[in-house]
Amino acid sequence: MDAVVKFTSQSQGRDRIFRATQYACALSIYLLRNNPERKDLVNKLKSLETNISAGRKLLRLGNTANSIVAVKQAMRLSDRVLRLCITAANINRALYFICDNLLWARNVGLILSIDKERWSINASRCYLYSLVMNLTQDLYVILQLMLQKGRDNHFKQKMNQHLNESPEVAEVTIPELDTFVFLLLETLRSEPTVALDTVKNICDLFIPLDKLGIYKSSAGLVGFCGLVSSLIGILTLARPTLRIKP
Amino acid sequence: MDSWVRFNSQSQAKEKVFRAAQYSCMLLGSTLTKSRAASDLQRIVSDLEAHMSLTRKLLRLGNSVEALQAAKRAIHLSDGVLRLCITIAHLNRAMYFACDNVLWAGKTGIISKLDHHKWSQRSFRYYLFALILNVTRNVYEVCLLLDGEDRCRSTKSSSPSDVLPDDRLSSSSAVPATSPPALMFARLCRLMGQVGAVLYNNPPLLLDLLKNSCDIFIPLDKLGLYRTGPAFVGTCGLLSSVLSIVTMLHPWLKLKP
Repeated sequence: MDAVVKFTSQSQGRDRIFRATQYACALSIYLLRNNPERKDLVNKLKSLETNISAGRKLLRLGNTANSIVAVKQAMRLSDRVLRLCITAANINRALYFICDNLLWARNVGLILSIDKERWSINASRCYLYSLVMNLTQDLYVILQLMLQKGRDNHFKQKMNQHLNESPEVAEVTIPELDTFVFLLLETLRSEPTVALDTVKNICDLFIPLDKLGIYKSSAGLVGFCGLVSSLIGILTLARPTLRIKP
Repeated sequence: MDSWVRFNSQSQAKEKVFRAAQYSCMLLGSTLTKSRAASDLQRIVSDLEAHMSLTRKLLRLGNSVEALQAAKRAIHLSDGVLRLCITIAHLNRAMYFACDNVLWAGKTGIISKLDHHKWSQRSFRYYLFALILNVTRNVYEVCLLLDGEDRCRSTKSSSPSDVLPDDRLSSSSAVPATSPPALMFARLCRLMGQVGAVLYNNPPLLLDLLKNSCDIFIPLDKLGLYRTGPAFVGTCGLLSSVLSIVTMLHPWLKLKP
């Protein structure tokens, strides 16, 4: 119970729980859409999703500052590629939050001269760019780790053992591809932080891709991906050792 | 920028900022009604207030657990009166949050048939009890500090070198007559002065007492016990929210336990 209270006392903790609930509702609505007996439940879930989404928009009002601070911290990194990726990702996130805040002001009626559709598309676009930069960062880190691991002697022994394991299969597979896949899986297994972050970003990617019409998937897939990425977010916040650094 | 991020990352801090904004809207709404401003603007302000109220309810969803934990911690206090006041105040807060969660479920449509008025009154009743206990605790702490000061002064005056206060006391008793009301008034003034000095030397206690005194008008108005109107309630709510934010920015100003 103490751990739950400590987790929820962080603003991010609560937001991630709300996000998970929001996407769980979206997924449930999609799964129950053709069931006439559950119409009442579907309406309740829709109302819950709308309320949580509106509440989260209000709660995101100060988050631009978080991204700007992250940009300042990223400037101190030594690795140039990482510095570029993280800075670009956070600048795009800051722009996304600004668009999101303007949309909130429009929804509430404070600013009426805003074209809701256009700014919604702008927000999705900025979010997409920040996710692409995050994925680039993940891929770069994975490549670095793979190169490091490839040079490791202990790993080379393991690799030879794997390649000699089943000689009858080795004739069918392409040895280079097999080596690459084995190296990739071993790297991801030894560095769960990067693996979790990559999965989270890939799942998140479906949301703006669907909204912008670049890759239209079903509402169910969007809901499922949103739910998975929210759960990973909750896990990394509850266990800070699983969070990617920097 | 860094301090804003740190402040913002606390869930409670965000809630207090929205509380301040909500009561500002209430105050602004009543000012606009009085000045007969455009109905559009009034509607925007009241919609904004409702939106913030609902979001705050969403943000408060897990708070019963925190209040129960705080009550568990308070049971171990050494002072009997403080233990009683603080524990029961936290238990009342836990009940208030539970009623608040039910109201949120009703407003979002999860619970379809809910008597909003009944549950709203229930939640304000628990809130009022919690505030009364908080004020009782503040008054008790003031009395303890006054006692301490009196004891301190009496030990100082018992020392032979300190003749002057005795002279003053004897001279005051030598003043002729002073009818009982005047004497009472003089005593009252002296007591007020002592209370003022005690509070001035204890900023956390002063802030907490001010905050609770402002907050108490909200449930009193909502329950119909002492109607003051939205302007006064808005001002009190805004003031108590600002005091809470100040306490969060400067943790040394928080009253402990």
